[in-house]
Amino acid sequence: MDNDRWLWTLGQELARHQLGPDAVRHVVAEAAAHLRDSGQPALRAFGTPEGYAAAVAESLAARYGRPARPAPGRVRLSARGITKRYRRRTILRSVDLTVRAGEVAAVVGANGAGKSTFLRICAGLLTPDAGEVMLDGRLGYCPQDAGTYDFLLPDEQFVLIGAGRGLDRERSKQIGRAGAAALQWRPAAGVQTRHLSGGTRQKLNLVMASMGEPDVLLLDEPYQGFDRGTYLDFWQHVWRWRDEGRAVVVVTHLLSQLDQVDQVLDLTPASEGAAA
Amino acid sequence: MKILTVAEMAIREMVRRRAVLALLLALPLAFYLVRRGDQVGQSIRFLLIGLAWAVSTAALFASGTSRPIEPRLRLSGYASHHLYLGRLAAMWLLGIVVAAPFFALVAIDHGDQVRLGAVALAMLFAVTVAAPFGLLIGALVPRELEGTLLLLVVVGLQMMIDPADALTKVTPFWSSREIATYAVDHTGDEYLTRGLVHGLAFTILATAVVALLSTLRLRVRLRAATSA
Repeated sequence: MDNDRWLWTLGQELARHQLGPDAVRHVVAEAAAHLRDSGQPALRAFGTPEGYAAAVAESLAARYGRPARPAPGRVRLSARGITKRYRRRTILRSVDLTVRAGEVAAVVGANGAGKSTFLRICAGLLTPDAGEVMLDGRLGYCPQDAGTYDFLLPDEQFVLIGAGRGLDRERSKQIGRAGAAALQWRPAAGVQTRHLSGGTRQKLNLVMASMGEPDVLLLDEPYQGFDRGTYLDFWQHVWRWRDEGRAVVVVTHLLSQLDQVDQVLDLTPASEGAAA
Repeated sequence: MKILTVAEMAIREMVRRRAVLALLLALPLAFYLVRRGDQVGQSIRFLLIGLAWAVSTAALFASGTSRPIEPRLRLSGYASHHLYLGRLAAMWLLGIVVAAPFFALVAIDHGDQVRLGAVALAMLFAVTVAAPFGLLIGALVPRELEGTLLLLVVVGLQMMIDPADALTKVTPFWSSREIATYAVDHTGDEYLTRGLVHGLAFTILATAVVALLSTLRLRVRLRAATSA
Protein backbone atom coordinates (compact mmCIF):
# COMPACT_ATOMS: atom_id res chain seq x y z
CA MET A 1 0.00 0.00 0.00
CA ASP A 2 1.60 3.33 -1.01
CA ASN A 3 1.39 6.39 1.22
CA ASP A 4 -1.36 8.12 -0.75
CA ARG A 5 -3.57 5.05 -0.58
CA TRP A 6 -2.77 4.69 3.11
CA LEU A 7 -3.76 8.31 3.81
CA TRP A 8 -7.00 7.94 1.82
CA THR A 9 -7.90 4.80 3.78
CA LEU A 10 -7.07 6.58 7.02
CA GLY A 11 -9.53 9.34 6.13
CA GLN A 12 -12.28 6.78 5.44
CA GLU A 13 -11.62 4.96 8.69
CA LEU A 14 -11.62 8.17 10.73
CA ALA A 15 -14.97 9.11 9.24
CA ARG A 16 -16.27 5.70 10.21
CA HIS A 17 -15.22 6.45 13.77
CA GLN A 18 -17.53 9.48 13.68
CA LEU A 19 -14.82 12.13 13.51
CA GLY A 20 -16.01 15.34 11.89
CA PRO A 21 -14.62 16.50 8.52
CA ASP A 22 -12.32 19.11 10.13
CA ALA A 23 -10.83 16.59 12.53
CA VAL A 24 -10.33 14.08 9.70
CA ARG A 25 -8.55 16.67 7.55
CA HIS A 26 -6.38 17.69 10.47
CA VAL A 27 -5.32 14.14 11.39
CA VAL A 28 -4.64 13.18 7.76
CA ALA A 29 -2.62 16.35 7.19
CA GLU A 30 -0.52 15.69 10.30
CA ALA A 31 0.12 12.12 9.24
CA ALA A 32 1.04 13.25 5.72
CA ALA A 33 3.47 15.84 7.10
CA HIS A 34 5.11 13.24 9.32
CA LEU A 35 5.49 10.81 6.40
CA ARG A 36 6.97 13.56 4.22
CA ASP A 37 9.47 14.64 6.89
CA SER A 38 10.50 11.14 7.93
CA GLY A 39 10.50 9.59 4.47
CA GLN A 40 9.15 6.38 5.97
CA PRO A 41 6.50 4.20 4.40
CA ALA A 42 3.19 4.74 6.16
CA LEU A 43 2.73 1.14 7.19
CA ARG A 44 6.06 1.16 9.03
CA ALA A 45 5.48 4.57 10.63
CA PHE A 46 1.89 4.12 11.78
CA GLY A 47 0.84 0.51 11.20
CA THR A 48 -2.43 -0.23 9.40
CA PRO A 49 -4.73 2.74 8.69
CA GLU A 50 -7.57 0.90 10.47
CA GLY A 51 -5.51 0.44 13.63
CA TYR A 52 -4.18 3.98 13.59
CA ALA A 53 -7.65 5.46 13.04
CA ALA A 54 -9.04 3.42 15.93
CA ALA A 55 -6.23 4.62 18.20
CA VAL A 56 -6.71 8.26 17.19
CA ALA A 57 -10.48 8.03 17.67
CA GLU A 58 -10.07 6.46 21.09
CA SER A 59 -7.53 9.08 22.11
CA LEU A 60 -9.76 11.95 21.00
CA ALA A 61 -12.81 10.43 22.69
CA ALA A 62 -10.85 10.07 25.95
CA ARG A 63 -9.67 13.67 25.75
CA TYR A 64 -12.79 15.47 24.58
CA GLY A 65 -15.58 13.00 25.13
CA ARG A 66 -18.05 12.09 22.40
CA PRO A 67 -19.58 14.92 20.42
CA ALA A 68 -22.79 16.36 21.83
CA ARG A 69 -25.98 14.92 20.40
CA PRO A 70 -29.40 16.45 20.14
CA ALA A 71 -31.72 15.38 22.97
CA PRO A 72 -34.10 12.53 22.11
CA GLY A 73 -37.48 13.70 20.85
CA ARG A 74 -40.97 12.31 21.16
CA VAL A 75 -41.79 8.65 21.45
CA ARG A 76 -41.87 7.10 17.97
CA LEU A 77 -42.32 3.45 18.84
CA SER A 78 -43.81 1.98 21.97
CA ALA A 79 -44.26 -1.76 22.48
CA ARG A 80 -45.95 -2.68 25.75
CA GLY A 81 -46.36 -6.10 27.32
CA ILE A 82 -45.65 -8.01 24.11
CA THR A 83 -46.22 -11.72 24.53
CA LYS A 84 -46.03 -14.24 21.73
CA ARG A 85 -46.51 -17.98 21.87
CA TYR A 86 -46.03 -20.59 19.17
CA ARG A 87 -48.10 -23.59 20.12
CA ARG A 88 -47.25 -24.10 23.79
CA ARG A 89 -43.87 -22.39 23.70
CA THR A 90 -43.73 -18.81 24.87
CA ILE A 91 -41.25 -16.94 22.65
CA LEU A 92 -41.74 -13.46 24.10
CA ARG A 93 -43.04 -12.77 27.56
CA SER A 94 -44.30 -9.30 28.37
CA VAL A 95 -41.58 -7.43 26.49
CA ASP A 96 -41.50 -3.62 26.59
CA LEU A 97 -39.59 -1.25 24.34
CA THR A 98 -39.90 2.49 23.93
CA VAL A 99 -37.80 4.28 21.32
CA ARG A 100 -37.77 8.05 20.91
CA ALA A 101 -36.83 10.14 17.91
CA GLY A 102 -33.02 10.35 17.86
CA GLU A 103 -32.44 7.08 19.68
CA VAL A 104 -30.97 3.73 18.67
CA ALA A 105 -32.14 0.54 20.35
CA ALA A 106 -30.40 -2.79 19.87
CA VAL A 107 -32.37 -6.01 20.25
CA VAL A 108 -30.10 -8.87 21.22
CA GLY A 109 -30.55 -12.46 22.30
CA ALA A 110 -29.60 -16.01 21.52
CA ASN A 111 -30.76 -17.83 18.41
CA GLY A 112 -34.46 -18.53 18.75
CA ALA A 113 -34.93 -15.89 21.44
CA GLY A 114 -37.58 -14.17 19.33
CA LYS A 115 -35.63 -11.17 18.02
CA SER A 116 -37.07 -11.30 14.50
CA THR A 117 -40.51 -12.18 15.85
CA PHE A 118 -40.39 -9.12 18.08
CA LEU A 119 -39.34 -6.91 15.19
CA ARG A 120 -42.15 -8.27 13.02
CA ILE A 121 -44.59 -7.49 15.81
CA CYS A 122 -43.16 -3.97 16.07
CA ALA A 123 -43.62 -3.63 12.29
CA GLY A 124 -47.26 -4.70 12.64
CA LEU A 125 -46.74 -7.83 10.56
CA LEU A 126 -47.50 -10.27 13.36
CA THR A 127 -50.22 -10.14 15.96
CA PRO A 128 -48.96 -10.59 19.52
CA ASP A 129 -50.93 -12.82 21.89
CA ALA A 130 -50.86 -9.95 24.37
CA GLY A 131 -49.65 -6.38 24.35
CA GLU A 132 -49.81 -3.50 21.94
CA VAL A 133 -47.53 -1.59 19.61
CA MET A 134 -47.97 2.13 19.03
CA LEU A 135 -46.23 3.82 16.11
CA ASP A 136 -45.84 7.52 15.47
CA GLY A 137 -44.65 8.29 11.94
CA ARG A 138 -43.57 6.48 8.83
CA LEU A 139 -42.00 3.06 9.09
CA GLY A 140 -39.02 1.59 7.23
CA TYR A 141 -38.49 -2.14 7.59
CA CYS A 142 -35.49 -4.21 6.56
CA PRO A 143 -36.25 -7.93 6.83
CA GLN A 144 -33.50 -10.40 7.59
CA ASP A 145 -33.86 -11.98 4.16
CA ALA A 146 -36.29 -12.44 1.27
CA GLY A 147 -36.99 -8.76 0.92
CA THR A 148 -36.16 -8.48 -2.78
CA TYR A 149 -37.25 -9.91 -6.12
CA ASP A 150 -34.60 -12.18 -7.68
CA PHE A 151 -35.17 -11.22 -11.31
CA LEU A 152 -35.43 -7.44 -10.93
CA LEU A 153 -32.55 -5.00 -11.31
CA PRO A 154 -31.59 -2.91 -8.27
CA ASP A 155 -32.96 0.20 -10.03
CA GLU A 156 -36.29 -1.56 -10.48
CA GLN A 157 -36.39 -2.50 -6.81
CA PHE A 158 -35.81 1.19 -5.99
CA VAL A 159 -38.63 2.20 -8.35
CA LEU A 160 -40.96 -0.36 -6.77
CA ILE A 161 -40.33 0.87 -3.23
CA GLY A 162 -40.28 4.50 -4.37
CA ALA A 163 -43.72 4.21 -6.00
CA GLY A 164 -45.12 2.99 -2.69
CA ARG A 165 -43.58 6.04 -1.02
CA GLY A 166 -45.07 8.35 -3.63
CA LEU A 167 -41.78 9.04 -5.46
CA ASP A 168 -41.46 9.16 -9.22
CA ARG A 169 -39.15 6.79 -11.07
CA GLU A 170 -36.16 9.07 -11.52
CA ARG A 171 -36.24 10.31 -7.94
CA SER A 172 -36.51 6.73 -6.69
CA LYS A 173 -33.47 5.70 -8.69
CA GLN A 174 -31.52 8.75 -7.52
CA ILE A 175 -32.27 8.04 -3.87
CA GLY A 176 -31.54 4.35 -4.26
CA ARG A 177 -28.23 4.90 -6.04
CA ALA A 178 -27.17 7.51 -3.50
CA GLY A 179 -27.95 5.09 -0.67
CA ALA A 180 -25.99 2.36 -2.47
CA ALA A 181 -23.00 4.67 -3.00
CA ALA A 182 -22.98 5.50 0.71
CA LEU A 183 -22.50 1.77 1.35
CA GLN A 184 -19.61 1.61 -1.15
CA TRP A 185 -21.74 -0.07 -3.79
CA ARG A 186 -22.38 1.05 -7.34
CA PRO A 187 -25.07 -1.14 -8.91
CA ALA A 188 -23.84 -2.40 -12.28
CA ALA A 189 -26.21 -1.93 -15.19
CA GLY A 190 -28.19 -5.00 -16.18
CA VAL A 191 -27.23 -7.17 -13.19
CA GLN A 192 -30.25 -8.83 -11.67
CA THR A 193 -30.60 -9.15 -7.94
CA ARG A 194 -30.16 -12.93 -8.02
CA HIS A 195 -26.61 -12.40 -9.31
CA LEU A 196 -25.58 -10.13 -6.43
CA SER A 197 -23.45 -11.50 -3.60
CA GLY A 198 -25.08 -12.02 -0.22
CA GLY A 199 -23.52 -8.89 1.22
CA THR A 200 -24.48 -6.72 -1.75
CA ARG A 201 -27.99 -8.05 -1.59
CA GLN A 202 -28.15 -6.99 2.03
CA LYS A 203 -26.99 -3.52 1.01
CA LEU A 204 -29.87 -3.40 -1.45
CA ASN A 205 -32.20 -4.57 1.29
CA LEU A 206 -30.96 -1.82 3.59
CA VAL A 207 -31.16 0.91 0.96
CA MET A 208 -34.75 -0.08 0.20
CA ALA A 209 -35.67 0.11 3.89
CA SER A 210 -34.29 3.62 4.23
CA MET A 211 -36.04 5.07 1.15
CA GLY A 212 -38.74 7.65 1.70
CA GLU A 213 -37.25 9.11 4.90
CA PRO A 214 -38.95 6.87 7.44
CA ASP A 215 -39.29 8.15 11.01
CA VAL A 216 -38.79 4.70 12.47
CA LEU A 217 -36.34 2.16 11.05
CA LEU A 218 -36.62 -1.48 12.01
CA LEU A 219 -33.53 -3.39 10.86
CA ASP A 220 -33.30 -7.14 11.25
CA GLU A 221 -29.60 -8.08 11.19
CA PRO A 222 -29.12 -6.04 8.05
CA TYR A 223 -25.35 -6.41 7.86
CA GLN A 224 -25.09 -10.16 7.17
CA GLY A 225 -22.40 -10.71 4.57
CA PHE A 226 -20.97 -7.20 4.92
CA ASP A 227 -17.20 -6.90 4.92
CA ARG A 228 -15.61 -5.03 7.77
CA GLY A 229 -15.56 -1.65 6.05
CA THR A 230 -19.20 -1.86 5.04
CA TYR A 231 -20.15 -3.03 8.51
CA LEU A 232 -18.57 0.09 9.95
CA ASP A 233 -20.27 2.18 7.26
CA PHE A 234 -23.56 0.63 8.27
CA TRP A 235 -23.13 1.83 11.85
CA GLN A 236 -22.19 5.24 10.49
CA HIS A 237 -25.57 5.27 8.80
CA VAL A 238 -27.32 4.21 11.96
CA TRP A 239 -25.75 7.06 13.84
CA ARG A 240 -26.53 9.52 11.07
CA TRP A 241 -30.15 8.43 11.04
CA ARG A 242 -30.24 8.83 14.80
CA ASP A 243 -28.73 12.32 14.59
CA GLU A 244 -31.33 13.24 11.95
CA GLY A 245 -33.99 12.46 14.55
CA ARG A 246 -35.05 9.00 13.46
CA ALA A 247 -35.78 6.16 15.83
CA VAL A 248 -33.74 3.09 14.91
CA VAL A 249 -34.17 -0.46 16.16
CA VAL A 250 -31.46 -2.94 15.15
CA VAL A 251 -31.67 -6.65 15.75
CA THR A 252 -28.14 -7.86 16.27
CA HIS A 253 -26.10 -10.66 17.73
CA LEU A 254 -22.85 -8.74 17.43
CA LEU A 255 -22.06 -7.05 20.69
CA SER A 256 -19.16 -4.85 19.63
CA GLN A 257 -21.31 -1.77 18.99
CA LEU A 258 -23.63 -2.05 21.97
CA ASP A 259 -21.78 0.62 23.95
CA GLN A 260 -22.77 3.09 21.25
CA VAL A 261 -26.51 2.52 21.25
CA ASP A 262 -28.97 4.18 23.57
CA GLN A 263 -30.59 1.06 24.90
CA VAL A 264 -30.24 -2.68 24.65
CA LEU A 265 -33.20 -5.02 24.81
CA ASP A 266 -31.95 -8.50 25.68
CA LEU A 267 -34.48 -11.16 24.77
CA THR A 268 -32.43 -14.07 26.11
CA PRO A 269 -34.73 -15.97 28.48
CA ALA A 270 -33.84 -15.36 32.15
CA SER A 271 -32.82 -18.99 32.77
CA GLU A 272 -30.46 -19.04 29.76
CA GLY A 273 -29.09 -15.61 30.62
CA ALA A 274 -28.24 -16.79 34.14
CA ALA A 275 -26.61 -19.94 32.84
CA ALA A 276 -24.52 -18.11 30.25
CA MET B 1 -49.94 4.36 -10.43
CA LYS B 2 -49.07 1.91 -7.65
CA ILE B 3 -51.07 -0.88 -9.29
CA LEU B 4 -49.30 -0.21 -12.59
CA THR B 5 -45.88 -0.32 -10.93
CA VAL B 6 -46.67 -3.66 -9.26
CA ALA B 7 -47.97 -4.99 -12.59
CA GLU B 8 -44.89 -3.77 -14.45
CA MET B 9 -42.50 -5.40 -12.00
CA ALA B 10 -44.47 -8.64 -11.97
CA ILE B 11 -44.25 -8.78 -15.77
CA ARG B 12 -40.54 -7.98 -15.72
CA GLU B 13 -40.00 -10.74 -13.16
CA MET B 14 -41.87 -13.22 -15.30
CA VAL B 15 -40.49 -12.41 -18.75
CA ARG B 16 -36.90 -12.69 -17.50
CA ARG B 17 -37.55 -16.33 -16.69
CA ARG B 18 -37.09 -17.48 -20.25
CA ALA B 19 -37.53 -21.15 -19.52
CA VAL B 20 -40.86 -20.35 -17.87
CA LEU B 21 -41.97 -18.40 -20.92
CA ALA B 22 -41.01 -21.28 -23.20
CA LEU B 23 -42.97 -23.72 -21.05
CA LEU B 24 -45.94 -21.35 -20.93
CA LEU B 25 -46.06 -21.61 -24.71
CA ALA B 26 -45.17 -25.30 -24.86
CA LEU B 27 -48.01 -26.48 -22.65
CA PRO B 28 -50.97 -25.28 -24.76
CA LEU B 29 -49.09 -26.17 -27.95
CA ALA B 30 -48.53 -29.74 -26.78
CA PHE B 31 -52.20 -30.06 -25.81
CA TYR B 32 -53.26 -28.74 -29.19
CA LEU B 33 -50.92 -30.92 -31.25
CA VAL B 34 -51.76 -34.08 -29.32
CA ARG B 35 -55.43 -33.75 -30.30
CA ARG B 36 -54.93 -32.21 -33.72
CA GLY B 37 -55.62 -35.50 -35.49
CA ASP B 38 -58.99 -35.79 -33.70
CA GLN B 39 -61.98 -33.59 -34.23
CA VAL B 40 -61.34 -29.87 -34.49
CA GLY B 41 -63.37 -29.28 -31.33
CA GLN B 42 -61.22 -31.54 -29.20
CA SER B 43 -57.96 -29.90 -30.24
CA ILE B 44 -59.34 -26.44 -29.49
CA ARG B 45 -60.82 -27.51 -26.15
CA PHE B 46 -57.50 -29.05 -25.13
CA LEU B 47 -55.69 -25.95 -26.30
CA LEU B 48 -57.93 -23.87 -24.03
CA ILE B 49 -57.29 -26.12 -21.05
CA GLY B 50 -53.54 -25.99 -21.72
CA LEU B 51 -53.69 -22.21 -21.93
CA ALA B 52 -55.69 -21.95 -18.71
CA TRP B 53 -53.35 -24.34 -16.95
CA ALA B 54 -50.27 -22.42 -18.09
CA VAL B 55 -51.64 -19.04 -17.00
CA SER B 56 -52.95 -20.28 -13.65
CA THR B 57 -49.59 -21.95 -12.94
CA ALA B 58 -47.77 -18.70 -13.77
CA ALA B 59 -50.13 -16.82 -11.45
CA LEU B 60 -49.62 -19.40 -8.71
CA PHE B 61 -45.84 -19.01 -8.92
CA ALA B 62 -46.05 -15.22 -9.12
CA SER B 63 -48.11 -15.35 -5.96
CA GLY B 64 -45.52 -17.57 -4.25
CA THR B 65 -42.59 -15.38 -5.34
CA SER B 66 -44.24 -12.26 -4.01
CA ARG B 67 -45.52 -13.68 -0.77
CA PRO B 68 -42.37 -13.03 1.31
CA ILE B 69 -41.89 -9.56 -0.22
CA GLU B 70 -45.43 -8.27 0.11
CA PRO B 71 -45.18 -7.43 3.84
CA ARG B 72 -42.31 -5.07 3.07
CA LEU B 73 -44.25 -3.50 0.18
CA ARG B 74 -47.27 -3.14 2.43
CA LEU B 75 -45.11 -1.22 4.92
CA SER B 76 -43.64 0.86 2.09
CA GLY B 77 -46.91 2.53 1.25
CA TYR B 78 -48.84 -0.05 -0.77
CA ALA B 79 -52.36 -1.10 0.17
CA SER B 80 -53.12 -4.78 -0.24
CA HIS B 81 -55.41 -4.09 -3.23
CA HIS B 82 -52.49 -2.45 -5.06
CA LEU B 83 -50.60 -5.70 -4.74
CA TYR B 84 -53.19 -8.28 -5.79
CA LEU B 85 -54.74 -6.12 -8.51
CA GLY B 86 -51.33 -5.27 -9.94
CA ARG B 87 -50.39 -8.94 -10.04
CA LEU B 88 -53.74 -9.87 -11.56
CA ALA B 89 -53.34 -7.24 -14.29
CA ALA B 90 -49.86 -8.59 -15.05
CA MET B 91 -51.09 -12.16 -15.36
CA TRP B 92 -53.95 -11.10 -17.60
CA LEU B 93 -51.58 -9.26 -19.90
CA LEU B 94 -49.14 -12.15 -19.93
CA GLY B 95 -51.99 -14.57 -20.68
CA ILE B 96 -53.22 -12.51 -23.60
CA VAL B 97 -49.70 -12.33 -25.04
CA VAL B 98 -49.35 -16.11 -24.69
CA ALA B 99 -52.82 -16.70 -26.21
CA ALA B 100 -52.25 -14.48 -29.24
CA PRO B 101 -50.03 -16.87 -31.26
CA PHE B 102 -52.41 -19.75 -30.53
CA PHE B 103 -55.30 -17.76 -31.89
CA ALA B 104 -53.27 -17.21 -35.04
CA LEU B 105 -52.54 -20.94 -35.16
CA VAL B 106 -56.25 -21.86 -34.91
CA ALA B 107 -57.13 -19.22 -37.48
CA ILE B 108 -54.63 -20.68 -39.94
CA ASP B 109 -55.40 -24.29 -39.11
CA HIS B 110 -59.19 -24.23 -38.79
CA GLY B 111 -60.25 -20.70 -39.63
CA ASP B 112 -62.82 -21.86 -42.16
CA GLN B 113 -64.48 -24.35 -39.79
CA VAL B 114 -65.04 -22.39 -36.58
CA ARG B 115 -66.43 -19.08 -35.37
CA LEU B 116 -63.11 -17.29 -34.96
CA GLY B 117 -64.53 -14.43 -32.87
CA ALA B 118 -65.91 -16.93 -30.38
CA VAL B 119 -62.58 -18.80 -30.30
CA ALA B 120 -60.91 -15.50 -29.38
CA LEU B 121 -63.54 -14.98 -26.68
CA ALA B 122 -63.00 -18.49 -25.33
CA MET B 123 -59.26 -17.84 -25.12
CA LEU B 124 -59.88 -14.50 -23.46
CA PHE B 125 -62.07 -16.16 -20.87
CA ALA B 126 -59.60 -18.98 -20.31
CA VAL B 127 -57.02 -16.30 -19.44
CA THR B 128 -59.51 -14.14 -17.50
CA VAL B 129 -60.50 -17.01 -15.23
CA ALA B 130 -57.08 -18.66 -14.98
CA ALA B 131 -55.22 -15.64 -13.59
CA PRO B 132 -57.37 -15.08 -10.47
CA PHE B 133 -57.74 -18.85 -10.07
CA GLY B 134 -53.94 -19.26 -9.88
CA LEU B 135 -53.72 -16.36 -7.41
CA LEU B 136 -56.52 -17.93 -5.39
CA ILE B 137 -54.67 -21.23 -5.08
CA GLY B 138 -51.54 -19.29 -4.15
CA ALA B 139 -53.47 -17.48 -1.44
CA LEU B 140 -55.11 -20.64 -0.09
CA VAL B 141 -52.06 -22.92 -0.27
CA PRO B 142 -48.90 -20.96 0.47
CA ARG B 143 -46.46 -23.78 -0.35
CA GLU B 144 -45.76 -24.04 -4.07
CA LEU B 145 -45.59 -27.83 -4.31
CA GLU B 146 -48.96 -28.28 -2.64
CA GLY B 147 -50.40 -25.49 -4.78
CA THR B 148 -49.07 -27.06 -7.96
CA LEU B 149 -50.54 -30.43 -7.04
CA LEU B 150 -53.89 -28.87 -6.21
CA LEU B 151 -53.90 -27.15 -9.58
CA LEU B 152 -53.06 -30.47 -11.22
CA VAL B 153 -56.03 -32.10 -9.48
CA VAL B 154 -58.40 -29.37 -10.67
CA VAL B 155 -57.14 -29.38 -14.26
CA GLY B 156 -57.06 -33.18 -14.37
CA LEU B 157 -60.66 -33.25 -13.16
CA GLN B 158 -61.59 -30.66 -15.75
CA MET B 159 -60.09 -32.80 -18.52
CA MET B 160 -61.50 -36.13 -17.46
CA ILE B 161 -64.95 -35.29 -16.20
CA ASP B 162 -67.94 -36.29 -18.34
CA PRO B 163 -69.23 -33.07 -19.95
CA ALA B 164 -72.79 -34.20 -19.15
CA ASP B 165 -72.01 -34.46 -15.42
CA ALA B 166 -73.53 -31.64 -13.34
CA LEU B 167 -70.20 -31.35 -11.50
CA THR B 168 -68.59 -29.91 -14.60
CA LYS B 169 -70.38 -26.61 -14.00
CA VAL B 170 -68.41 -25.94 -10.83
CA THR B 171 -65.04 -26.50 -12.48
CA PRO B 172 -63.20 -23.24 -13.09
CA PHE B 173 -62.70 -23.44 -16.82
CA TRP B 174 -66.18 -24.60 -17.79
CA SER B 175 -66.85 -21.15 -19.24
CA SER B 176 -64.25 -21.44 -21.98
CA ARG B 177 -65.44 -24.96 -22.76
CA GLU B 178 -69.00 -23.70 -23.30
CA ILE B 179 -67.83 -20.80 -25.45
CA ALA B 180 -65.62 -23.21 -27.41
CA THR B 181 -68.63 -25.45 -28.06
CA TYR B 182 -70.46 -22.42 -29.42
CA ALA B 183 -67.42 -21.60 -31.57
CA VAL B 184 -66.70 -25.06 -32.90
CA ASP B 185 -70.04 -26.85 -33.02
CA HIS B 186 -72.01 -23.79 -34.15
CA THR B 187 -74.56 -24.25 -31.37
CA GLY B 188 -77.15 -21.70 -30.28
CA ASP B 189 -76.42 -18.56 -28.26
CA GLU B 190 -77.27 -20.23 -24.95
CA TYR B 191 -73.80 -21.84 -24.84
CA LEU B 192 -72.18 -18.47 -25.32
CA THR B 193 -74.35 -16.81 -22.69
CA ARG B 194 -73.78 -19.60 -20.14
CA GLY B 195 -70.06 -19.45 -20.74
CA LEU B 196 -69.86 -15.68 -20.35
CA VAL B 197 -71.94 -15.65 -17.16
CA HIS B 198 -69.99 -18.52 -15.62
CA GLY B 199 -66.65 -16.98 -16.53
CA LEU B 200 -67.53 -13.56 -15.17
CA ALA B 201 -69.04 -15.00 -11.98
CA PHE B 202 -66.02 -17.24 -11.35
CA THR B 203 -63.57 -14.39 -12.01
CA ILE B 204 -65.40 -12.06 -9.64
CA LEU B 205 -65.70 -14.73 -6.96
CA ALA B 206 -62.04 -15.82 -7.19
CA THR B 207 -60.86 -12.20 -7.16
CA ALA B 208 -63.04 -11.42 -4.15
CA VAL B 209 -61.64 -14.36 -2.17
CA VAL B 210 -58.07 -13.36 -3.14
CA ALA B 211 -58.86 -9.81 -2.00
CA LEU B 212 -60.23 -11.04 1.32
CA LEU B 213 -57.31 -13.35 2.03
CA SER B 214 -54.70 -10.76 0.98
CA THR B 215 -56.29 -8.05 3.07
CA LEU B 216 -56.38 -10.32 6.11
CA ARG B 217 -52.82 -11.57 5.65
CA LEU B 218 -51.34 -8.15 4.98
CA ARG B 219 -53.22 -6.13 7.55
CA VAL B 220 -50.95 -3.90 9.64
CA ARG B 221 -51.55 -4.52 13.33
CA LEU B 222 -50.29 -1.21 14.69
CA ARG B 223 -51.98 1.51 16.63
CA ALA B 224 -51.14 4.93 15.24
CA ALA B 225 -50.13 7.45 17.87
CA THR B 226 -52.55 10.29 18.46
CA SER B 227 -51.05 13.69 17.79
CA ALA B 228 -49.92 15.57 20.84
